[in-house]
Amino acid sequence: MRDPYQVLGVPSTATDEEIKKAYRNLARKYHPDNYHDNPLADLAQERMKEINEAYEAIQSQRKHKSAGSAYSYGYGTGYGASAGTSGGPRQRIRDAIAQGDLNLADELLNAQTSRDAEWFFLKGTIFRRRGWMDDALDYFETAVQMDPENAEYRYALENMQGRRGTYQPDGYRAMTTAGCGSDTMRNICGAMLCLNCLSGSGWYFCC
Amino acid sequence: MFGYVLPALDKPDEENRRSFQAAYCGLCHTLGRRYGLASRLFLNYDLTFLVMLLGRSCDASPRRCPVHPIRPRPCACESESLDTAADVSVILLWWQLQDGIADHTFLRGLKYRTASVLLGRAYKRARERQPGFDASTRDYLARLRQLELEKCPSLDRPADCFASLLAGIADCETDPSRRRVLEQMLYHLGRWIYLVDAADDLRDDLRSGCYNPVAVRYGLRDGVLTDEGKRALACTLDQSIRQMAAAFELADFGDYSSVIESVVYHGLYQVGAAVLDGTFRRGGKREQG
Repeated sequence: MRDPYQVLGVPSTATDEEIKKAYRNLARKYHPDNYHDNPLADLAQERMKEINEAYEAIQSQRKHKSAGSAYSYGYGTGYGASAGTSGGPRQRIRDAIAQGDLNLADELLNAQTSRDAEWFFLKGTIFRRRGWMDDALDYFETAVQMDPENAEYRYALENMQGRRGTYQPDGYRAMTTAGCGSDTMRNICGAMLCLNCLSGSGWYFCC
Repeated sequence: MFGYVLPALDKPDEENRRSFQAAYCGLCHTLGRRYGLASRLFLNYDLTFLVMLLGRSCDASPRRCPVHPIRPRPCACESESLDTAADVSVILLWWQLQDGIADHTFLRGLKYRTASVLLGRAYKRARERQPGFDASTRDYLARLRQLELEKCPSLDRPADCFASLLAGIADCETDPSRRRVLEQMLYHLGRWIYLVDAADDLRDDLRSGCYNPVAVRYGLRDGVLTDEGKRALACTLDQSIRQMAAAFELADFGDYSSVIESVVYHGLYQVGAAVLDGTFRRGGKREQG
C-alpha cells in the first residue's frame, strides 16, 4: 500500500484538521455522482477505496479510532443493485451495461417489444455511456415523461441537464457554457494576443 | 477545425502560461526537426493541448527560433510523446486539408491545395511512422463524409466519427488505465471541437448550402441559433466538458496538470460561450465581412 499521507497529498506533519480537509476534498472529487454512467467509474471507485483506506490508516495511526470512519463515501454496486423493478431480460441488459458491454446491451434492448419508460431509460443510459449526450438526453426526457415518479430516471435526467452539483477544484467556480458573461470575448481577444506574443507564430488555419 | 482549446483566459497564471508556452514551442521545434519548416506553419492551440495530454513532463530549456531570435523561449525538451504528438499533428492537418479541397471549388480550394503540396512530404513520413492512426483517420473521415452527404439529422452520430478519430490517439499509451483516461478525454475533446466548430460555421454553411449538423438538429434556416437551441447545445457541450474533467482527475498529468485543469474547468466553457454568442474571433470577422 502507498504511503497514506502521499495518497491524501499531505505531509506527515499535517494536523488532523488539514488531513480531514484533504480527505473531504478528494472524496468530493471522486464522488460517485461525478462518475454516474461514466465508463471510468471503476477507476474512480478504486481511487475512492484507496483514499478511504489511507484516511482510516492515518486515523488509526494517530489513535483517533473513534473519529476514524465518521464518514466513508462509497460506491454502490451499480446497476445490478439499483434495478429491482423487473427481473429477467431487463436485468440482463442492466448487467451488460454495468460490465461495459454496450453492444450486447443495445442488441438485447432492441429485441424487446415493450417500449416502456424503462426501455427509454436504458437506451439513454447506453447512449450516455457511449458519450452520445444529445441522444441520451432525448431518451431520458421520454422516460421521465412516461414515468415522472421514478427517482432513477429523474436522477439521470437531472444529471444530464447539469442540475446536480459537480466538483470544482479550489479556485474555480461552477461554470456552464450558457452561464458565461458577455464579456467573454474581450477576455479571449486579450488572452489570445498575450498568448500570441508569448508563443510566437500563432498561425491559424481556418477552413 | 482547430484553434478552440484554450486555458482559462481571465485568470492569467504565470506557471500555466509557461507550461502552455513550453508545450507550444516544444511541438513547434519537434515539427521542425522531424518534418521541416513547412509543417511548423500549421501549428495551433488544439495540437498544443495534445502535447500536454500525451506528455507528463515539461522540462523546459530556453531556445531561440526564427520567430524569437533574440529572447529565448522556454521549450519542452525532446521526448517520445512530443514526437508522437508531432506525427499525429501532421496526419490530422493533412487530412484536414484534403477535406478542405473536397469541400471547395478549384479556385476557392487553391489555398488548401497549395498547403497540401507544402505538407505532402511531411505527411508521407508521418504516415510511415503512424500507419495505424493514418488508416483510422481516413476511415473515420470517410464515414463522416458519408453522413454529411446523407444530411444526418443527429448531432451525436457525425460528432462520434470525429471524437472516435481523436480517441484513437490514446492507442500510443501503454499503461491500460491511463489509456482509458486518455481515450475518454480525447473522445469528448473531439466531440466538443466538432460541435463548437459546427456552431461557429453555422452562417457560412447555410449561405453556401453545406451540411451543418447544428443547423439540421435545431431546424435553422437563417444561421442564427434560437435561445432554446443555444441552451440545448450549451447543455450538451457542458456534458462533454464534464466528462473530460472527470477523466482528467483519474490520471497524473505531471507538470501539465495545472494548465489542463484550467482548460477543462474554465477555458472550454468560455470559448463555447463566445462561439454561441457569435463573438468568437471567426464569427467576429464574419460580421465585419
